[in-house]
Amino acid sequence: MMIKKIIDEIKSLSVGYYILAVIAAAGMSVAAYRLYAGLGATTNLSKAFPWGIWISFDLSTVAFSGGAFTLAALVYVFHLHDLHPAVRPTVLAGLIGYSSVLLILFMDLGRWDRFYHFLIYPNLNSALFEVSWCIMLYSTILVYELSPALLENSRWSGLIKVVEKWTIPMVIAGVTLSTLHQSSLGTLFVVMSPRVHPLWYSMLLPVFFLISSLAAGLAMVVGGATLSYWIFKRTLPENIVAELGWFIPWILGVYLVLKLGELEITDELHLLFTSGVYSALFITELIIGVVIPIVLFSIKRLRHSRVASLVGALFVLGGVVLNRFNTSWFTIKPVAGQTYAPSWMEVAILIGVAATAVLAYSLIAHYFPLFEETVRVKRQSKVRRELAHTGD
Amino acid sequence: MSSTTITRREFLKIAGASLGALAVGQMLPIKVAEAARRAGMLDINGNGYIPTMCEMCVWRCGVRAKVKDGRVVKLEGNPEHPHSLGHLCARGQSGLMNTYDPDRVLTPLIRVGQRGEGKFREASWEEALDLAASKMQEIKDKYGPEAMVFSSTHNLSQVQFENLLNAYGSPNYGTQRSLCFNAMIVANQMTYGLEEPFRNYDGLKYLILTGRNLMEAISTSETSILSHAIDKGLKVVYIDPRFTKTAAKATDWCAIRPGTDLAFHLALLNVIISEDRYNHDFVEKYTVGFDQLAAEVENYTPEWAAPITDIKADVIRRIAREFSDAAPYAMAHNGWRTSNFENSFQTQRAIACLNALVGNWGIHLLPAAAEGAGLGAPPQPPYPRASAMRLDGVPWKYPLVPFKLGVFQELRDAIIAEQPYKAHGWFIARQNPVQSLPDRNKTLAAMSKMDFIAVVDIFLNDTAWFADVVLPEASYLERYDPLNVVGDLAFIRQPVIQPQGEAKSALWIYKELGKRLGLEDYFQYIDEEDYLRQQLAPLGMTLEEVRQKGYARLSGGSDEVEFTWNTPSGKVELFSGTLDNAGFNALPTWEEPPRPSAGKFYLLTGKVGRHTQFGTQNNQLLRKYQDEPRLWMNPVSAKALGLQDNDLVKVTSAVGEVNIQLWVTQAIRSDCVYLTPGYGHLSKGLTTGYGVGASDSVLHVTFTDPISGSQALTQTFVSVTAA
Amino acid sequence: MSETTSNENDYGFLIDASRCIDCRACLVACSVQNETPMETTRIWIKETGVTGQFPDLERYSAPYHCMHCEDPSCLSACTVGALQKGENGIVTYDQDRCIGCRYCMYACPFQVPNYEWKQQLPLIVKCDMCISRLGEGESEPACAATCPTDAIIFGRKSEMLAEAHRRIEENPGKYIDHVYGEHENGGTATFYVSPAPFEDLGFPSAGEMSPAYSNRLVTHGTPTVAGAVAVGLSSIYLTIKHHEEAMEALKNGSTHEADNAADEETQVAAQEAA
Ligand SMILES: Nc1nc2c(c(=O)[nH]1)N[C@H]1C(S)=C(S)[C@@H](COP(=O)(O)OP(=O)(O)OC[C@H]3O[C@@H](n4cnc5c(=O)[nH]c(N)nc54)[C@H](O)[C@@H]3O)O[C@H]1N2
Ligand SMILES: Nc1nc2c(c(=O)[nH]1)N[C@H]1C(S)=C(S)[C@@H](COP(=O)(O)OP(=O)(O)OC[C@H]3O[C@@H](n4cnc5c(=O)[nH]c(N)nc54)[C@H](O)[C@@H]3O)O[C@H]1N2
Ligand code: SF4
Ligand code: SF4
Ligand code: SF4
Ligand code: SF4
Ligand code: SF4
Ligand SMILES: [Mo]
Repeated sequence: MMIKKIIDEIKSLSVGYYILAVIAAAGMSVAAYRLYAGLGATTNLSKAFPWGIWISFDLSTVAFSGGAFTLAALVYVFHLHDLHPAVRPTVLAGLIGYSSVLLILFMDLGRWDRFYHFLIYPNLNSALFEVSWCIMLYSTILVYELSPALLENSRWSGLIKVVEKWTIPMVIAGVTLSTLHQSSLGTLFVVMSPRVHPLWYSMLLPVFFLISSLAAGLAMVVGGATLSYWIFKRTLPENIVAELGWFIPWILGVYLVLKLGELEITDELHLLFTSGVYSALFITELIIGVVIPIVLFSIKRLRHSRVASLVGALFVLGGVVLNRFNTSWFTIKPVAGQTYAPSWMEVAILIGVAATAVLAYSLIAHYFPLFEETVRVKRQSKVRRELAHTGD
Repeated sequence: MSSTTITRREFLKIAGASLGALAVGQMLPIKVAEAARRAGMLDINGNGYIPTMCEMCVWRCGVRAKVKDGRVVKLEGNPEHPHSLGHLCARGQSGLMNTYDPDRVLTPLIRVGQRGEGKFREASWEEALDLAASKMQEIKDKYGPEAMVFSSTHNLSQVQFENLLNAYGSPNYGTQRSLCFNAMIVANQMTYGLEEPFRNYDGLKYLILTGRNLMEAISTSETSILSHAIDKGLKVVYIDPRFTKTAAKATDWCAIRPGTDLAFHLALLNVIISEDRYNHDFVEKYTVGFDQLAAEVENYTPEWAAPITDIKADVIRRIAREFSDAAPYAMAHNGWRTSNFENSFQTQRAIACLNALVGNWGIHLLPAAAEGAGLGAPPQPPYPRASAMRLDGVPWKYPLVPFKLGVFQELRDAIIAEQPYKAHGWFIARQNPVQSLPDRNKTLAAMSKMDFIAVVDIFLNDTAWFADVVLPEASYLERYDPLNVVGDLAFIRQPVIQPQGEAKSALWIYKELGKRLGLEDYFQYIDEEDYLRQQLAPLGMTLEEVRQKGYARLSGGSDEVEFTWNTPSGKVELFSGTLDNAGFNALPTWEEPPRPSAGKFYLLTGKVGRHTQFGTQNNQLLRKYQDEPRLWMNPVSAKALGLQDNDLVKVTSAVGEVNIQLWVTQAIRSDCVYLTPGYGHLSKGLTTGYGVGASDSVLHVTFTDPISGSQALTQTFVSVTAA
Repeated sequence: MSETTSNENDYGFLIDASRCIDCRACLVACSVQNETPMETTRIWIKETGVTGQFPDLERYSAPYHCMHCEDPSCLSACTVGALQKGENGIVTYDQDRCIGCRYCMYACPFQVPNYEWKQQLPLIVKCDMCISRLGEGESEPACAATCPTDAIIFGRKSEMLAEAHRRIEENPGKYIDHVYGEHENGGTATFYVSPAPFEDLGFPSAGEMSPAYSNRLVTHGTPTVAGAVAVGLSSIYLTIKHHEEAMEALKNGSTHEADNAADEETQVAAQEAA
């Protein structure tokens, strides 16, 4: 009976799910093979390029998932309760993003059988150690933040109260952890100074990574609102999106000033024009991810347009992706003519993980009250509104 | 390629596999660990060091083998051995993998398919030895003992190999010598009455190396000593058409035209004599024929030599002056393989004369200790007289070539020609003539003439691939060999691990074969240890002492250098009456070597540091990145031919062709190409080595110097085209 | 400031490119000693190749392996502390800890750590100065012991450095006037002298300060930053909350309830921040 019910349920799902499931299964089979056969047999990684597309993917995905902590901070810490409806979808996106990152990191570990070693063998000097812990703890917090949605219609719904009681401290811990690992991902490259191109290398890399993840986080919320409006016919109040967009030029402005300022101070500004392909990559990255969005989001009319703000958000995200790929792959100093391009298996695993992520998101969205406004909107005070509008 | 490469885990596994040996015949397998423990070399757990000797090449460095749990885990250079001075070269370090190579032949093999098909079945020693002995007996009975050819390359059990062939009664014996150093040995004999003097570098100030590529064709101690001497300021003139790693360390590199080393040395003699720069004292007291030499070299001025050699006259003159200024602390190295042209014998003679003129005898050239002097040997009856002519033309075609050296390539050609008679069987031990003789196709043709071929080796080398019976020898880390004398010390090679599989020492194999051939009386030793005890008997040392110490000290041996030589005159013969009587030039005389016609190149060969000849290419520890050998060519020539680096090219000589990738490099004259020997294996029994590179032996044309019987490899000319 | 632990018992190497003949004995010796196949050795040869125009040619080579830095970048990077600086200045690798993240490979400015790519469960391969061999009473690591030309020598670090300078001073014109490894990456225990420029040999130019130092500056700042962020966030939260509640109270005329709620949450946030 039960089984039949499940089968019927599966049959009722639309074809998109099937396609996703097939891609995901294919990718996961390759992943299983990768775990069995080892890195050399499945990837194009080498001594000269020990990290590849997976790490670049992880860096980008973590930055995107910054949406979750940015939003949580805005809603819970800064009391922008109007944004509350976006919390669940964004937190879920974050959780799934981080899960993908964890999955890919697992793929990337030569000794995946010892993944837990970072729990028992600390190296407090290691940025990667810090990142590992933060991501682990933060994922737990995301689960926590998401748990009301999961518990809501179940017989455990009584627990929601308990969960909510601790929401604020958890959010604060989560935002703190995010700040740490978003920046620590930049710190990763601090010790790699001989390999990272000077245009990207800086002692301030952690700061750059943090700031850009904030921008990416906001862009995710802004873009996500528009997308969910189109796809799920749900959205945030339009003016709130515009209000969020208002922050973007400021954040990116600080970023731009810091980046160029740092180059000026370390006397490397000339590299901007003398490094050939690297110059082009650097300038593209800044134009796409920084300059264009600054312009778009500075114009009030565009901020209030769904299409324009989506486009702006995509530019921000594109810039961040390019930045992460540049830092971790494209501009890594090659060794004696060696280059790196991912193997088909590396790509297939990524696609598989991405498909799994989308599938998981869709299914959860399908079965759980992701967009139901169930949480009490607490105090709708004028004060907060005033606060939220001070920017305009 | 990767699938056949041993990984870290497999490395341990293979090194751990120690297969039990089975007793055959009288000799019991040596319980190595147990004996070593009793001798105090290993501790109670079977860990410790055992002194022995390397045999990855003929230099035989002293080794301390580290043993752990009955496995050999590391080889160290023995600081007490004058050939290693505590170091080992790459090949010596890789010796472990020679022993633990997964391609080792560990049981006797009998051919089942067509010859050369590589199909064998495993057999017991009884069966394999019975088969070999019956075939050899059959040939002897039917065609006489001379129908059986024996060949082997210099090794420690060679005395017993020679014992076998002499007892059997065959005069036909092929060794590597005519492929290697006949020119040097015969020239030394004609000049000094000895084979090869010992070279002393202490205090040496000036050295001329003629194609002696000591930094790549490594003899650990000599390489090491040379390196330190250079550091202390030794001036080195290096003569080679190729910029080798020795050239890179030399003070002067002369990119000589191949085959004209004689002209260069004659010009040195000319300057030293005409400018009165020679050691009068030595020349007067200890040499004969100075005046004739002076007259002969009168016209060989540097200006005469310059266009021949492509070395500038003033450079030659400067070298002659520097060389004689440094005298007597100057030496012209006689090299081993300075036998690249038919005139190389004369080059060697000129080198010998040059040393005499600066009077470095007793300082840098010393008489070498006689092999085996002072050691005992098992008793044996006299050998039967071999009445048949030798197939290799000694002495009827090569009157001055010593019996011991022979002319191997001529022997092979006689097999094909079936002249003066037909040979029917070939017994080959520790040698790879399919690769080491010039013109591989000819060698294969000679083998195809045989009714029976037996090979003693540790791998299915290219020669064993064509054998009817393969007799697996224990590797040098698994067996005893007769003692090896260096100076006044006799060093021991002893097993450091138990032989794997069924492998047996050569001493055992020859004795067992002899027994089956009814030659038991020639092999009067019970086993290997008994053989060594008989060798040690006159010294009053026990085998146990020697095993522990690694060597025995021979009595006698005065430090005084003799100033008489084993020549007819008792002096150093600048003019050689022997040569004169035989109708050859009694003085080093210019002989114009052939030159390649337009568009052709001299084909150079020469060793590389990480390999020995044709026998180590399967060693996984010696194979690494970018090891595929390529054909060296100067950019000028490459450009003229429209070829580029890494192009696949076809190299064609008068006798064969190979395809190989090109390496365009400044490091070679534009009229030469160079190919590393030892690749292009035919045997699929070499899973690491097979399929790599091409064989230069396919290309080499067989030329023989009529005086010394040396082959002349650089006399092969090739054309190169895009493949 | 930097965590350098150089002391007089430290071991070191001196490698002389004028002596090396690229024979690879050191590579094979290391492979056998440490049971690593040639594909993934702990030591390689760097070489200039043949340089110059025929017939004025030159060619130099030198082996290279872990430099045993004073302030190793790899050590800073390693997620699980598998790389450690042990006695005698040896930078060791604990293969039982390693998770195979390969961060050390990127962190090392000399690109030393090697990886067993072909293995199913690969490990890092890195020179450890043959620490186990030295422990067994051998006086030198395998590579130095076997080198036929003594191009690699081993001993006390201070002596090696002194010898390097001696060679340069006593042979004017023979060597480049630079002891590679003396200051590179904050100082190492492997010193090179060479007649050819080190760039030509393929040695990376490394700064005089180890990036491990910058890395520490950042990572050690982390707890402080974390604390500051948590406290900052809590304060913002509380400030706004109080503000809101005050407004609410004004509106409702009753502050009692809100005060209590605020107090509760203040405590929780404060605990969390701590
Ligand atoms: N690593 C290693 N070491 C070895 C061996 C080995 O196989 N591997 N083998 C050992 C043995 S058996 C021997 S005989 C020795 C041999 O050692 P070497 O005497 O050094 O002989 P090769 O390496 O055969 O050749 C040396 C050089 O001769 C050059 N050459 C060719 N033609 C001419 C010419 O006409 N004139 C001049 N001047 N040079 C010419 C070649 O370019 C080559 O560089 O090495 C011993 N040591
Ligand atoms: N083209 C070309 N030809 C050359 C030369 C060259 O440079 N180029 N060099 C010439 C010179 S100098 C020489 S000396 C000759 C050498 O010529 P060879 O002596 O014919 O050649 P090697 O490769 O030394 O052959 C040694 C054989 O011994 C085997 N072997 C190794 N260890 C053992 C063992 O413990 N027991 C037994 N029974 N067998 C063992 C190896 O597998 C190998 O097959 O070649 C000459 N020919
Ligand atoms: S020179 Fe090398 S291969 Fe030859 S005996 Fe010595 S260590 Fe062994
Ligand atoms: S062993 Fe010595 S000479 Fe040979 S490659 Fe190594 S450092 Fe150079
Ligand atoms: S050379 Fe590289 S691997 Fe060795 S200690 Fe320094 S940073 Fe670490
Ligand atoms: S690969 Fe191993 S040794 Fe290297 S950083 Fe990662 S855990 Fe540490
Ligand atoms: S010191 Fe030991 S581990 Fe390091 S390279 Fe030398 S032999 Fe290898
Ligand atoms: Mo030879």
